[in-house]
Amino acid sequence: MAEKKEIKLTINGKEAKGKAGDTVLEVCRNNSIYVPTLCYLEGLSNVGACRLCVVEIEGERRLNPACTYPARDGLVVKTNTEKLEKYRRQILELMFTERNHHCFVCVASGDCDLQKLAYQYQMDHVRYPYSFPTLPTDPLNKYLVIDHNRCILCGRCVRICDEVVGNRTLDFGKRGWRTMLIADLSQSLGESTCISCGACAQACPTGAIFSKMSAYRGRTTEGKIIHSICSLCGVGCDIDVLVKDNNIVKINATNLTGLKGQLCRKGRFEQIYKEAPRITAPIITDMRGGSARTASWEEALNRASEGIRAYRSRYGTGSIAGLISSLCPNETLEAFTKLMRQTVRTSLLDTLDGDLYRTLTQGISLFSKNGQGLEIESPLESILETDFVLVVGGNPLESHPVAGCYVLRAQAQNQAGLVLIDSEQNDLGIHADRWLRPNEGDLKVALSALSQLVRNRKGVKMTPKATSSARAAPFGGLDETLLAQLGDMLAKAREPVIIYGDGVLNKKDPRLVASLLELAKLANPNGVKVVSLKPRGNSRGAWELGVANRNGMAEAKPKLVYLLLADDDGSIDSDVLQIVERAEFLIVQVSYASPLTEAADVVFPSPNWAEREGTYVSLDGKTGQSQRAVKPPQGIKDDLEIISQIAQRLRKRRLRLWPK
Amino acid sequence: MAKVKIATAWLDACAGCHMSVLDIDEAIIDLAKVVEFTKCPITDIKEFSAVDVGILTGAIGTAEHEKEATELRHKCKILVVLGDCACFGGVVSMRNAFSKEEVLKRVYVETESTKDGKIPSSAEIPPLLEKALPVNAVVKVDCYVPGCPPRAEAIKYALTELLQGRIPVLPGEMMLFD
Repeated sequence: MAEKKEIKLTINGKEAKGKAGDTVLEVCRNNSIYVPTLCYLEGLSNVGACRLCVVEIEGERRLNPACTYPARDGLVVKTNTEKLEKYRRQILELMFTERNHHCFVCVASGDCDLQKLAYQYQMDHVRYPYSFPTLPTDPLNKYLVIDHNRCILCGRCVRICDEVVGNRTLDFGKRGWRTMLIADLSQSLGESTCISCGACAQACPTGAIFSKMSAYRGRTTEGKIIHSICSLCGVGCDIDVLVKDNNIVKINATNLTGLKGQLCRKGRFEQIYKEAPRITAPIITDMRGGSARTASWEEALNRASEGIRAYRSRYGTGSIAGLISSLCPNETLEAFTKLMRQTVRTSLLDTLDGDLYRTLTQGISLFSKNGQGLEIESPLESILETDFVLVVGGNPLESHPVAGCYVLRAQAQNQAGLVLIDSEQNDLGIHADRWLRPNEGDLKVALSALSQLVRNRKGVKMTPKATSSARAAPFGGLDETLLAQLGDMLAKAREPVIIYGDGVLNKKDPRLVASLLELAKLANPNGVKVVSLKPRGNSRGAWELGVANRNGMAEAKPKLVYLLLADDDGSIDSDVLQIVERAEFLIVQVSYASPLTEAADVVFPSPNWAEREGTYVSLDGKTGQSQRAVKPPQGIKDDLEIISQIAQRLRKRRLRLWPK
Repeated sequence: MAKVKIATAWLDACAGCHMSVLDIDEAIIDLAKVVEFTKCPITDIKEFSAVDVGILTGAIGTAEHEKEATELRHKCKILVVLGDCACFGGVVSMRNAFSKEEVLKRVYVETESTKDGKIPSSAEIPPLLEKALPVNAVVKVDCYVPGCPPRAEAIKYALTELLQGRIPVLPGEMMLFD
């Protein structure tokens, strides 16, 4: 795209450069000229709702809002005249009279844009009569409260819900001075289609929408902000963690209106608190039928390494297995791998989601003749650019909510088509154009039937093999009309993206993945566009490091299992669970108490996401760095230290047993 | 030099603003050298006399408050209001979301700890106004010091400026609404 034409304006008597297409406000901001705003939020559309950014423009009869006035060459603008300041103060006073702004009881006091401007304009009193309206407060959403008393109708929440989240729950109802912020058809937020991503609360310049979890727990100025990344799912959103007195007050998006800036219910709210009790000291179970008891680190580390040593000498290294959650950062994964492979010398090592990795990579190698791997997949942003999304066996709005919102945005902004093939409950259901629900085992039939339909539609010649398989079972027990429609839609799409999740991967059939890729290739002549929803925050990182290669772990029936779970509370595959249950000696390294900790012989407390730091790889292969936001509770050691202490003990012993 | 005469009154308020004057710490000693408090909650003088500076804290919530504010306005040269209630309506104006009858019923009859309560009707009790209002809704105000309560530095700044013969407007960085 050609560089936009440069334009020159005169602002407050000085030359200011901008680009064609900029608004006057944008030119001001880019030239460090201060103009007060309330309804403006970078990255959202401009509406000129608050009128605080009014400026004088030569040749214009009236004052104009800078945020909606297009800049052009030769424009002469004044931003700081006495007249403007007078009107701005007047606007602020009117805002304070319109509703009930009681700063002294407000959660936003100290962090409020309206309040800051009132201070700046020395608004020590209001010259107009207050309206004292009686307005409702809506507390029914689990995480968010809307207090209409504090709303200035700037519409930042409405625009972010539409333009960034894509959910379009919030809007304005009624008119004139009766205008109210509403959810859906004026329902309570708790009963609406709201997905509780909290973007509106972060966008709100006052305390009109706020998070229950952060209310009154500390102001931005009282704490410090730690920039990190969210490791809950593979999207890897950038987060700003506000910490006060070693407590997490709030999690905000780093770049609210930018890519991966949106966050979700889980990342913004749920990981602040966890109900499960924390493990803060090592626990061991004495060998001869004793009950579990708290132990010193020394005792627990010795017990674990003695266990490993005993099983190794009695049954060989093949009796020992290591399992690690891919919620852990690369550094922990590497240290654990090194411990298991080099110090313990076992080949039985896997991540909890290793089966999905093998399904995925085997599927890719079945499809790709030139040995491609995960790089065949598309970046998440490709969803934002597409005109058609096919979601197969996945519920992104639940598992990877920000990716789910990208689908909604593609629908809203590109008028993209959306088709689901999923037999499970799916939150995208209400948004989808078509929804095919194949019966158990019919997914493969559906995919090959679709491929065939797309082929026919596009006039692609079939290979003899494909012809025979198509003839043998054309549509199985599926709705033929619906399938034909899906085929038509997919064939017509310009740049379709296929998203698939555990509904496909959990089947552990690489051929399913291969046929999905085949369909993606047929449907999109410009190349395969697929996104797989990997289950954990660092699944891709773990897979790229080669941690996941369980060589017949189930068949080997390991007797000692070292499970590094950290704060992973995701579902564990039944095959993996069986391996853990069968173990005679179980070492668990974990943050929160669970049935697993009760079954373990040795439990090591592990830091949670906010207490560790490390490198994570997002589901589309982007590397990010998380920072330690808070100190772990006393008594908890870092995962890396526990691993190194065990390694040290194992090495020491070997030297003593076999001296040179 | 004659001492500057000050009268103060607290209207619909919690007393916090008057207390906050003490937050200026040792500066109060210097202040006492140059000012004389006539009617104020501490001196227990009942009537307003002519003063240089009148200070009001609290909103206008009853007919009595209305009367007091008007009287002090007439008797003082400069009227200063201290605190969010006096400047904006503040905490006491939160009752404005309800009618006067609802408020009285809630307070005297419906509170959980009240048994057989009734709304007092003695003529000695000043009647509640329909809405609690900021002082400038009733009389002209010359100087505003907001805050809940106003911070010591804001009070000190305002008093110092007044004693120097200037009518202060608090700078933004000194202003706090909470």
